[in-house]
Amino acid sequence: MGVMRLGYAHVRVTDMAEAKDHYANTLGLYETLSEGNKTYYKAWDEWDHHSVVLEEGGVGLVKYGWKVQYSSDIDEIEKKAKAFGVTVERMSKGDNPEIGDGIRFTTPSDHVFEVYHEATLIGTEVGTHNPDAFPRHLVGVGVPALDHSLITAEDPGLMDRFLTAVFGFYATERVQTTLDSDADIIATWMTNSTQIHQLAVLAGPQGKLHHFAFRLGEWSEVGRAADLFSMDDVPIDVGPTRHGITRGQTVYFFDPSGNRNEVFAGGYLAYPDRPMHVWTPEALGKGVFYHSRELNDAFTSVLT
Amino acid sequence: MPTVTIHPTGEVIYLDPEETVLSGLYKAGYAYTVGCRRGGCAICKVDCRSGEFSYNHPVADTVITDAERTDGTCLTCRAVPETDITIELRGENVRLVNRFLHMINDKARQRAEAHAAVTATSGTTHKEQ
Repeated sequence: MGVMRLGYAHVRVTDMAEAKDHYANTLGLYETLSEGNKTYYKAWDEWDHHSVVLEEGGVGLVKYGWKVQYSSDIDEIEKKAKAFGVTVERMSKGDNPEIGDGIRFTTPSDHVFEVYHEATLIGTEVGTHNPDAFPRHLVGVGVPALDHSLITAEDPGLMDRFLTAVFGFYATERVQTTLDSDADIIATWMTNSTQIHQLAVLAGPQGKLHHFAFRLGEWSEVGRAADLFSMDDVPIDVGPTRHGITRGQTVYFFDPSGNRNEVFAGGYLAYPDRPMHVWTPEALGKGVFYHSRELNDAFTSVLT
Repeated sequence: MPTVTIHPTGEVIYLDPEETVLSGLYKAGYAYTVGCRRGGCAICKVDCRSGEFSYNHPVADTVITDAERTDGTCLTCRAVPETDITIELRGENVRLVNRFLHMINDKARQRAEAHAAVTATSGTTHKEQ
């Protein structure tokens, strides 16, 4: 199977106390470890030790962790990354607390990826034996899980080829300059499962974070999340609205350091044999924000 | 009770104590290009031509470089004026998008100025009145 999911997003925050209030009390993540200048969180329906790491000092992305199904997948991905021309280093169990051996490399987009197979199992908040549907005392939005991320790169087409070759991802949707076969790829939404996207790449500066997203079940939960953002004075970037691309329902908002977060619900099921959706520039506004049908200037310029 | 003057058009906006430049301008009915509003994206930078301000939160070095900390660069979403300041936007002008809010701000400024004048004349402090 190779990569199963985006295991963790590790980001910088300027003020840990404010960040903790946002991720724990507004979003409802569970703190699993606080060590030095880092705090580790998991969401209620996640079982591994952490899915979000906050590091005090600065803003923006430190790295992503990708969890693979078999330990042999690490070797396979290492080979493929090297074949693509990327320098790969080994990381050891404990380099990241509660995460096993793995590899680390910098992508052609200048983002740091780690690939690992083992993480300390904590279990979901409802357990596995006759589990209830959700925990009774969720805090704030009560997001169940980390979902996906969008990053920027000078050449999204190169990242599309890289993720295809190294992770076995496929594109579910793309924004292209034209429908021609030699068109430039402006953005690509990629996955290797039925999840509509695990990582999307948008044309922009190298190494930047556009957002990382948490999963929600449906429209009404997205609306409720937006209500909570107003209660907690969280700046809402856009939404609640729908994306034409992925058909997901969304609110974009900012954490107290200015990193963009999203809550994302819905999206259709992806399959490798499903014909890819292609969007061209004249419909880009509708593709990104299905209701306003206008791309606000923040969407492409506000990055951390 | 500082004011923000916008160069070169001369608008004067009254800020509440501890209020950021960005928050004050938006509350007074003005708009300009802003992003995350939390100090992370660097989109809302302007130039501070006179006066003093300080940041009410730590600001990342990737957002405000060492050079920008002394060259008058002002990250408006985190900048709180310590004195009256004059700012100049970069490549755009503020847009008055809500005249009602502007009117409210103008009246607040006039009241504050009148109050300050009375206090100065009578030599009493705000608390004593």
